[in-house]
Amino acid sequence: MADKKTVFKTTGFCGPCSASEPVEIDVEDGKMIRVRPFSYVEHQSNDGLNAWTIKAHGKEFKAAEKSGISPYAVLTKNRVYSPNRILYPMKRVDWDPQGERNPQNRGVSKYKRISWDEATTIIADELIRIRDTYGMNSVFIQSDGHHQVKTIHGPRGCEGMLCDILGGYTLQARNPDSWEGWYWGAKHMWGQDPVGQGDNNNLFKDVANNSDTLLHWGCDVCTTPFGWGGQFPSRYCHFLRDAGVQQIFICPDFNYGAAAHADKWIPVLPNTDSALQLAIAYVWFTEGTYDEEYISTHTLGFDWFYYHVMGGDDGIEKTPEWASEICGVPVRTIKALARHWAKHNVSIAHGNGGSYIRSTYSHEPARLEIALLAMQALGHPGRNQLKMMEYQLFSLNSQMPAPRSEVIPQLGALLIPYAADSRESLVPETLVPEALAGDYDHDHPLTWYGTTVAGIPTEDQFKEYKYPARDFNRIHMVWIDSPKWTSSWNCGNKYIDAIRSDIIETVIAQHIWMEDDCLLADLILPVNTKYEEEDINCDIMSGNYNVMFIEDQAIDPLGESKSDFECALEVAKKLGDSVVEAYTGGLDYMDKMKLGWATCGVGDRMEFEEFYEKKNYIVPTATDWEDDVAGFYNFYMNPEDYPLSTPSGLLEFYSPRLHEEFPDDEERKPYPCWIEKGVTHPDERLNLPRGKEYPFLLVSNHPHFRMHSQFDDCAWMREVKMCKVVGPDGYAYEPVWINSQDAATMGIESGDIVKVFNERGWTMGGAIVTDRIISRAVSQDHGARIDPIVPGVSDRGGTNNLIAPKKIISKNCAGEVTSGYLVGIEKVDVFELAKEYPEAFSRPYDSETGPLHIKRMIEEQ
Amino acid sequence: MTKAFVIDLDYCNGCYSCQYACKDEHVGNEWAPFALPQPNTGQFWMRVDEKEHGAIPRVRVQYTPTLCNHCEDAPCMKAYPEAVYRRDDGLVIVDPAKAKNERGLVDSCPYGAIFYNEELDVAQKCTGCAHLVDEGKLPHCVDICGQNAIRFGDVEDLADDIAKAEVLNPEFGTKPQVYYLNLPHLFINGEVWDPIEDEIIEGAQITLTMPDGTTRTETTDDFGEFWFKKIKPGIYSLKIEAEGFKAKEVDQIDLKESLNLGDFPMDRA
Repeated sequence: MADKKTVFKTTGFCGPCSASEPVEIDVEDGKMIRVRPFSYVEHQSNDGLNAWTIKAHGKEFKAAEKSGISPYAVLTKNRVYSPNRILYPMKRVDWDPQGERNPQNRGVSKYKRISWDEATTIIADELIRIRDTYGMNSVFIQSDGHHQVKTIHGPRGCEGMLCDILGGYTLQARNPDSWEGWYWGAKHMWGQDPVGQGDNNNLFKDVANNSDTLLHWGCDVCTTPFGWGGQFPSRYCHFLRDAGVQQIFICPDFNYGAAAHADKWIPVLPNTDSALQLAIAYVWFTEGTYDEEYISTHTLGFDWFYYHVMGGDDGIEKTPEWASEICGVPVRTIKALARHWAKHNVSIAHGNGGSYIRSTYSHEPARLEIALLAMQALGHPGRNQLKMMEYQLFSLNSQMPAPRSEVIPQLGALLIPYAADSRESLVPETLVPEALAGDYDHDHPLTWYGTTVAGIPTEDQFKEYKYPARDFNRIHMVWIDSPKWTSSWNCGNKYIDAIRSDIIETVIAQHIWMEDDCLLADLILPVNTKYEEEDINCDIMSGNYNVMFIEDQAIDPLGESKSDFECALEVAKKLGDSVVEAYTGGLDYMDKMKLGWATCGVGDRMEFEEFYEKKNYIVPTATDWEDDVAGFYNFYMNPEDYPLSTPSGLLEFYSPRLHEEFPDDEERKPYPCWIEKGVTHPDERLNLPRGKEYPFLLVSNHPHFRMHSQFDDCAWMREVKMCKVVGPDGYAYEPVWINSQDAATMGIESGDIVKVFNERGWTMGGAIVTDRIISRAVSQDHGARIDPIVPGVSDRGGTNNLIAPKKIISKNCAGEVTSGYLVGIEKVDVFELAKEYPEAFSRPYDSETGPLHIKRMIEEQ
Repeated sequence: MTKAFVIDLDYCNGCYSCQYACKDEHVGNEWAPFALPQPNTGQFWMRVDEKEHGAIPRVRVQYTPTLCNHCEDAPCMKAYPEAVYRRDDGLVIVDPAKAKNERGLVDSCPYGAIFYNEELDVAQKCTGCAHLVDEGKLPHCVDICGQNAIRFGDVEDLADDIAKAEVLNPEFGTKPQVYYLNLPHLFINGEVWDPIEDEIIEGAQITLTMPDGTTRTETTDDFGEFWFKKIKPGIYSLKIEAEGFKAKEVDQIDLKESLNLGDFPMDRA
């Protein structure tokens, strides 16, 4: 008789306390059989569901009876049983902590298997050596964002907690990567901490009933939200269609959201949205089609904005003709859009990422969007900013457009010091290469403004930080979990150069798969997937209902892998019982799950034993959700009694605070405006001289056939035609969308292999010639696994983050620029390249899953 | 009771989860007596076909999930009556025991829905997840679909949908039991504008003469655009009329693929 069980797991990717997309996994004889949606109806408690229904124009949008899971969830088995799994600890063969460390060979030399005992002894010894030599703050804890959502078992900070017990560490600050422009720009205009995006409370009902048009601006509702809410946002878009709400996509590419939901597409060149926005304002000014009364009662400093639009400050009238040259949208279409907007109730939808909000000076399109919303009376029914993902972010109802839950459960009591925390000694994620190997000391420190940590209040942006921090030495050891800097951040080639510096004596990586920054480590610990652990979790981002889960162990850990929590625990064991006691808090896993349930917010509704037996508790919808005020409605009705969190309480077209704090900042002025170039980015535009050398703006979106840098090796996805382009050499290259006219000019056809390059290096791609991308832009999703040809110079994997601008958003805004930057495109002969780089082009490769770095990098024994 | 699939393309967002779900269910899993394991890659018992229509900026993407049509008059069953049978519920099953070495089965299906497993030496295809249906459950692709675009059930329960639906390649005459709602077919679109004022023209009347000589009319929207949707290949002609402008005509439009006719700058009358 087969041993059968079904376990519950959340499969989303946001972060601690923010799980989503629960599934039921059928397991038989220790093997995962299938992944199914989680049934809310079947598993509801005696409290019921209070199933909600949004009604609009004779149509209904109901809470789903089962979870709408993402494609990534369906691919779970591909990823768990990946051939790239790290199954035992490994050490680089020419890294000798007692002798030669050969940092220059990181990414090149091979690894050999070692025991857990040897690995943890080395790490413990290195920690003590670093502490005694430099101080604990010379240990840099990196926790990149691309991981599975676990609670007890980490990642995000386990190793940092251990270091704190020993005396501290330097933190890689958790940058607001998904919300750059909102964080650095919008917050100064309308407040809206934590991340600068608008109040979303109850907006699904409002938009469906009151909006005529929804602008999906610079976002992809069928890609980015998949990992943070699954199919729910797309289902809502189908409902909007049925309810008669027009959906217009304004973006450089006819993205996957547009493919599913666009009534109309207005192609715009990457990171030129500011020009389009200003021209819309110009039309409204000249035609008198904005809400002057609202402006007089709800805003501050509007005249500065008017002055800029009319060219008072820079001599340029922001006419549709002016904008059209920059943004590529025809003059007549700009005017039509402006007039359509002025005549209708329009809301704007977002889903994070892309050129709109992650490029140079991204604070400007963010602020200009608010300016336009304000000119049409932000908060009026049907006129708001709607988010299509991250529901209840930071456990806030203001981040919930769907009907409100009775409770937003959370597991804060269980979280180990979280990587989104702040501390005195930190380095923004965007400045890591500089910190690792740059020429900085206490007399000449690296400086920037703000912790850059997501969710920190606006005022933090005015405080200057330094590295090395006062009283601390610089970094000499790196310990990283979920290592993904190269494939996720701004100029991975610089990271590769930096991590190979002899300043960095030790690099420890712990991860599930042999990919990306693991290839650069000295010592690697094998981590298991969440499917191999028992844990407790809270799903708050699925949209339908909030659910508390006991996530049973589905299968035994593969090989010698352990959880992130256990990796650091094994090291703690080498440092003495008191360290272990401090690390665990004297609690075992069952104690922690009990504590989590007791403190999650619904723990009084059921005894722990019953919860542990049932494995889930679904929180019903609040009975009075329909009465919730939608978005900015209260502010719209009464700005005095319901002020914003700006210093004036108003929509600040002019921010006196920005003026006071940064009076000389020409790149982020106190009012939103067009910034073509500046000291930080003097030449990242098509019309500037570099644009002749690198004549395309690269759209680097969240990947559709990946989850950031995860899932790049899924065989079932890689055989989808649009996922990869198989070259004549049999290697599956990352697609590059090239406009059909541009391709014809360059003599490129679908299936050709190209170089994507600029002065920061080059990567490769497989051409897809299409009319889904505007001319003079190309699109290649971010996050493909690195496959370095010459480390720090060239790459075969299509990892375009390697060549993204190293510079931050603008002088005083330490965010990333990873989309909407200049590249050149050139057809290549892969066989010629193979002759030039014979080793790189003859590595172990699996036609189903791609590069087998683990096979390449392990020394045969 | 005969079962059927209904696939509503208006609700498909092209996520490919159905294609992956088929692999989740069948790769590495044997479901006797209906199917041996599917190879890891290369077979598509459920496959999403992706097709780009039109030209920038009036582009559309069509996703069409395709699977075995579980035909009432299944050619595979006729060609290999020993190896293929139709269950009482209408699901057509290639018997894994009897389809060993029957490579010819692959070509017997005009829809290309039968594959050959080289490793196991057996012809294979979608079973409708008969092993799950027998337990009162949904086929895995149907269960996974987060948009309710793929539906499965008794023909009687799906009668309303089926009445409005089409089948793929009806010319094959095999009586498929997989029905499609809202197949987009082809379109003709374009934009009308005034080059003197650099303005779109709203409300222009567009008359499309169909291959059979009948006409359809549309008016341009507030972006100056017109779309004729769900039309089929053939020879069309188009007339654009806007008040104050000379009419324009486009003849002999040989529609084979969806067509963005581009923008029409109109001359003053």
